[in-house]
Parts: sequence; structure tokens; C-alpha cells
Amino acid sequence: MTLIATRPGPGPARPYRFPSVVRRAVAGGQVVAAHLPGQNLAVALLLLDAGAEREPVGKEGLGGVLAKALEEGTAQRDAAAYALAVEGLGTELVTALDWDSFQVSVQVPVDRLGAAVELLAEAVRTPRLDPADVVRVRDDEATALRMDWANPGPRADAALRADLFGAENRWGRPMYGDPESVAGLDVEDVRVFHSEWFIRPGTLVVAGDLDRVDLDALGAAAFAGTGGGPVDRAGPIDVRLREGRRIILVDRPGSVQSTLRLGHPSPHRAHPDHVPMTLAGTVLGGAFTSRLNHLIREVRGYTYGIRGDFASSRRLGRFAVSSGVQTAVTAPALTEAVGEISRTQSGGVTEEELAVARSWRAGQLSVELQSPRAIAAALATLVVHDLPDDYHARLREALLAADVDQVSAAAATHLHPESLTLVVEGDAAVIRDELAATGLGEIVES
Amino acid sequence: MPDSGYPWPIETTRLDNGLRVVVSEDRTAPAVAVNLWYDVGSRHEPQGQTGFAHLFEHLMFEGSVNVAKTEHMKLIQGAGGSLNATTNPDRTNYFETVPAEHLELALWLEADRMGGLVPALTQETLDNQRDVVKNERRQRYENVPYGDAWLRLLPLLYPPGHPYHHATIGSMADLNAADLATFQAFHRTYYAPDNAVLTVVGDTSAAEVFALAEKYFGGIPARGDIPAAPDGRTVPATGRPVAETVTADVPAPRVYVAHRTHPFGSPGYDVITVLAAVLGSGRGSRLYQRLADGERIAQPDLVGAYGVDLAHAPAPLIATVTARPGVGAQRLADGLHAVMDELATVPVTPSELDRAKALLSTAWWRQMSTVDGRADTLSRYATQFGDPARAAERLPAWLAVTAEQIAEAAAEVLAADDRVTLTYLAEEKP
Repeated sequence: MTLIATRPGPGPARPYRFPSVVRRAVAGGQVVAAHLPGQNLAVALLLLDAGAEREPVGKEGLGGVLAKALEEGTAQRDAAAYALAVEGLGTELVTALDWDSFQVSVQVPVDRLGAAVELLAEAVRTPRLDPADVVRVRDDEATALRMDWANPGPRADAALRADLFGAENRWGRPMYGDPESVAGLDVEDVRVFHSEWFIRPGTLVVAGDLDRVDLDALGAAAFAGTGGGPVDRAGPIDVRLREGRRIILVDRPGSVQSTLRLGHPSPHRAHPDHVPMTLAGTVLGGAFTSRLNHLIREVRGYTYGIRGDFASSRRLGRFAVSSGVQTAVTAPALTEAVGEISRTQSGGVTEEELAVARSWRAGQLSVELQSPRAIAAALATLVVHDLPDDYHARLREALLAADVDQVSAAAATHLHPESLTLVVEGDAAVIRDELAATGLGEIVES
Repeated sequence: MPDSGYPWPIETTRLDNGLRVVVSEDRTAPAVAVNLWYDVGSRHEPQGQTGFAHLFEHLMFEGSVNVAKTEHMKLIQGAGGSLNATTNPDRTNYFETVPAEHLELALWLEADRMGGLVPALTQETLDNQRDVVKNERRQRYENVPYGDAWLRLLPLLYPPGHPYHHATIGSMADLNAADLATFQAFHRTYYAPDNAVLTVVGDTSAAEVFALAEKYFGGIPARGDIPAAPDGRTVPATGRPVAETVTADVPAPRVYVAHRTHPFGSPGYDVITVLAAVLGSGRGSRLYQRLADGERIAQPDLVGAYGVDLAHAPAPLIATVTARPGVGAQRLADGLHAVMDELATVPVTPSELDRAKALLSTAWWRQMSTVDGRADTLSRYATQFGDPARAAERLPAWLAVTAEQIAEAAAEVLAADDRVTLTYLAEEKP
């Protein structure tokens, strides 16, 4: 054999550095920037306290409709002229929404960043919101959601969220709303939401070669004409675990796969167990080499993939597992997934597994945090969760220092296999009896 | 305007066994991207063996002589790395990005599966990964609305026997028939150093990589005489439009229009790339302005046009629109056809052209903004055009495209009588 049999060890570790962070108050708002010397591309991202959490109950999807309406013309130009101006710089206006924030960003060659931020601000601060346009955008959004909800997944996700957090709460409903909630929005809802949340300055995040960027000018453009200060954000929500498991069956006649969504509530983002909990989730369902993927994909061949993790926002969190499995093996796949969650909860993790999880998570920081887009997202995390400039370096240390006892304790404390909600979206007529026979929990038809 | 799309150093060598090695040093971040292109894809698959190149890609993660089953993933992730592989009609690529101190590990793993896969390949592994691939087919193509559009378009675009006639995912029947001996032969035939390019980009030097490549890959024998895929460069125009209508469980009518254009890397395809951006990228594109915003017959988020960057035959240009509620498929198709036809008759304006080029510039620099994006690009140009440095030519070539060239290209390859139209109709709900 001509191959070298001995696996090489690592060379000397190279120091990890997050780019240097600059924070500056400009024109009534905050600028948070990272220096990426030599990078041709730059990203500017305006972060507003206008996440899904700010939408009133019954008005889910408001932020999404407003995001689209921003591009339907501004005080200065109509929609077609705006599109040509923005895209003529080589960017599109990218909007994103999560529970904690609303984000609008541009990505351009660095010499065009100033012009791009001016256009971004023009859309965010001075959109026309012409009633006819808003109505059309709303209808398009409702249609787009109907299209999306024709795919497997969204209905199962909604059923899980409602069961975990209660459909009477905003956070118990889909983050982007559903086709009906969006169809029910009116022009006034959109205009009020804009005036309430889109005129406050917010934070401008910049990632790029700061030697070629004028942060003060960018801030002045982003915050021109803004007013009002930050609004208090409510504290973490105490969510009850359910007593006993249940299966929620979402019918999808003729489906060749069953979509699985398993979950229960978990702690919010600032919980002190964040790091060991993340690692426990990684061992169980995070990496390709996770226990769940190994068992359900590699050993059993039931699926193309299965993942599980803890996710959290400022106010709450959830543990969830998701997969698509062949219809014929729905019941055994569900039983085995619950079994693996139970084993991890009761037995904890091994040093060998944890070694992989911890160095993977730590190494991912240097591997993934390269592009201006990725660095901007990391800066946004600092802002939303009030974290220090050296957070990513500290996180790396914390990940590498976590030991088996801590991570096993986090698994024992924060995994609740007996309180899982098991959502199955599939061909109910084919799988109902088998699911009942598993004895995993009572079946509720969604 | 930049005169180069690749302003980083590139150094190359070739080992005695034919393995081409490409290195691009960049010390900005403590990470390295390792990327291998094997010059084998679904275009090499004979009839009855569709999906084999892709299934083989899965087998490459299941162990080799010195690497236990599943250990590859574990070692890369355990080193903090990201990894994956993809297969398309042209080629198969394998890549990982790792913290720089683990470069040697990544090269050892790649060498072991290049030179030592066959002895470790078992029937059990094949059966298991066959199931995984069949699940992938269900998840990506069968269980989602419009998921089989690509599978339907290819045979409409390329005649039987053409290397792009069948889709890379293959057929369930062929996958079921796959036997171990065929896969052992597949590896011996194509997974050879003289059929591959190894690229490393990031926190390392050419000298270090060349030495490590010699150490780990140098002992793997050359295969020599690697069989070529069928030649597909000439696809005779049929002179008649092809249309297929599918009634399926979809939420709204959708139309795809596709044409055979030019191979990726040719001057003609550069024109098609810019043309596709004019036609279908962003809110300023013709499809958006005409059909989503103007006539309002198309859903705004589902309008698009793109070239599929295939290099060994005239590559497809695909445009697609989805109907707004109340709009019929015929009206939608007529609208799409009209916009396509006008590419030859209504000149592209300077602002349309600038917009398209600006979007393409950003897309190019986004690909270049990570070490893994750069590594894959260099592997592509080394494999398909014999020289990684030719990557630098692509962006300037796009920026040099003129409105006249776009009109000429539209007249030449987007003619209505050589067009493929695929229409989805929503089935009546009981």
C-alpha cells in the first residue's frame, strides 16, 4: 500500500482573533463596525428593534409585509427607479426578521457602501406606503406564504410552536405569520407599525475595510430624520413544560415522506447554561456525526438527514428535532428518535463525543466567520444580546473549557423526553394506526 | 473596473502521478480550504447506471483503508471544520475548511479515500447509502411542489444518449440495481490522481502544500487512459418548440422556459450570463418589471432566470414565473415567451446593462470573500480550462459584454422555434 497509515496530528494552533470592533455614537444612533482589511466587499446592516415579538397578536406577518412595501417607492422615487438605483450599485435590499430584531442590509464593493446606505435609509425611513401598493404587497405575501405552506414543514412547525408556547401568544404563532394572518392585515396596520418602529434610529452594523469607509458619514445617512429612543424590552417568559408526551398528526395525503418535528420549551438566550446546553444539543443532533444522524440516517437509512438543537431568543427558547423520513418507517423513526433523546438525557455525553462537539463549535468560529456577511451577523448578535466586543473570543474559550460533567448535567436538566410534543406531518390514513401502536403518546389530529 | 477577478497569488505544480496541485496563500484568517475536483460527473454514466456518480460521492464518506466508517466526518468536525461534497453533470467535488493547524489531517483524509477506498467498500455500506440517496431523492425532488422540474427539463433539452440527458440524482430503478462490483470499478476508473485537481487556499504556503501533497498523494499510482464521457458539444437544433404540461399537486401554475446556449467558459456563455441577469435578477430585471410589476400576472418572489454553469455542452438558460391567483397558465406562458422574444428585438439599455454587471460583480466578489469559495473556483478553472489563473478572466469578460452582443445571442440561441416550455397546472381538488 502506498498510503500513509498514520493519521497526522495538528500543527501548532494559530491564534484566533475576531476582527477589531469599533462602536461609535453618531447622529442619535449607534454604529458598530468590524475592520476587515483588504476585503473588497462590504456589508452594512441596519438593526431595528422591530422583530416578530413587536407584532400584535393577530397581526402576524406585519414585519414581512412592511419589508416588501419598503421597496415600493420612496419619498424621492418610484419602485422601478428605486430598484434600478439599488441594483445599479450591485446590491439588493436584503430584509430579515427574527423574534428579536428586524434587519435591512446591503452588500456591495466597498467603494459603493456610502451610496448603498443612503438608499437603504431612504427606503427604511421614507417609504411611500401608498395604500394600493401596500394592499398588493400584502396579497402577494399571502400568496407567497400559501406557496410556502404547500411544502412539507411549515404546518408542522406551526403545530409544534402553538403546542409549546400557546397560540394565544405572539410567540406561540409562526414567526412570519401564516397565509390567513397576512391576508387579514390592512394598510393602517402597516403604516402604524412603520411609524412606531422604523423611525427610531436603531444600530448600523458595518463589516468591511474600515480604511476605505467613513463611518460617521454612514451613520449620518442611516440615522437622518430619525427620532424616539429605545423602548424597554420585556424579560424572559416562563414557559411550562407539558405533562406527558403527545403526538400531533398533520395530514398530508399521498406524502412519500413524513415530516417530523419534535420539541419542548428550553431556556432563553442569556441563561447561564447556554454553552453546555449548546454542546449537549450538538452531541445529540447538531453535527453530522450526531447521535441522531448516526442512528436514524447512517445505521437505519430512514432519512436523508435529521437534526436537533436548542435555539433561543431574548425571551424564550426551544429544543427541537426535525427530519423527513420515509412514510413506511415513520413509527420506528419516531420511537428511535425519542429513545435517543431519552438516553442522552439520562446517560449524558462521553468525552469522545464532547471532544468532537466542542472543537467543532470552537473551530467553526474561525472557519465560518470570514465573509463580511458572516461578520455583520456576528456583530448583530453582539448588539441584540448586549454582548461585549470580545464575546466571540470568550465563547471560544468557554466552548473549549466545557467538561463532560457540565454538558451531561445540562442534558439532564434541559432535555425533557417525557414532555415532548411529537408533530408528524404525513399521510395520516397510512401512518395513524402505527403511530398509535407506538404508545409514545395520545394522538391529536391537527 | 477591476482588471482581474482574482487578485491573490496562485501557484501550481503537478506530481509525477499527474495530480495537479493549486495553492493560493492568504493569511487573513487562521483557516484553510481544501478542495478536490474529480473530473467525473453524471455525464460519464452509461444508460442503466444513472445516479451512480452521486451515490459514489456518498460512499466516499464511509471509510477507506486507514479511516473507519463515519470517521471522516468525525475527524473534520472534531477539528472544527466544515465539509461537504457535491456532484453535478460535469464533475464531483469534495471540500473542507479547517483551522489552519489541521491542514495535514485534511490532506491525509483526502489521500486515503483517493488511494484506498475500494478495499474498505462493503455491500452493507452500499445498501445503506443507497437508502440515504433514495431518501434524498424523495426529500428534494418528489415530496415538494415543482421539485421534479429539473428532472423533466433535462430530457426535453438534450436527446437520449447526450451526457446531460439524465439528471444527476438518477432513477430509483437504476439505484436499486447498483451492485458493488460496479462501484469498485467506478473508483478504479475515475478516482485517480491524474483525474483530479487539489486546491488549497488560505493560511499556508505553496511550499508547505506541495510538500504535503507529495507526502500523502505522491504514492498513489496514476491511472492513465481515463475514459472520456460521450461528446455532447454539438446538439443539433430541432427547429421545433417542445412543450410539456404536468398536472400536479402544486399551489399555482408555473412555467419554465429553457434553451440550450453555449458551454460555460466560452465567450458566448459570458454573454448569456449577463443576459440572464438582465432578464431575471432582481426587481429591476425585465421579467420582474414586465410580469410581476407591470402586467402583474407573476408572483414577485418567484420570478427568475439563470444559466446553469455546465462546461461540456451547450449549457441551459432557464427562466421561470409562477402565476398570481386568478391568472391562467396560458397567459403566463404567453407573457414569459414575449419577454424572452424581446431580448432579440428590444435593445438592452445602458442602465439595464450596468445594473446586471453591478449585480454580477457583487456575486463574484461574494464568491471570492471566503477561502472555500476561492478554492472551488480555482479547482474549476484548473479542471475545466487547464489553468486556475484563468479564473481572473471571468469578471472582466462579463463586464465587457455589450448590448449588441446580448441581442445577437438572443437571436441566435433563444429563438422561439428551439425552445423548451414546461408548464405545471394545479390539479383540481375534490
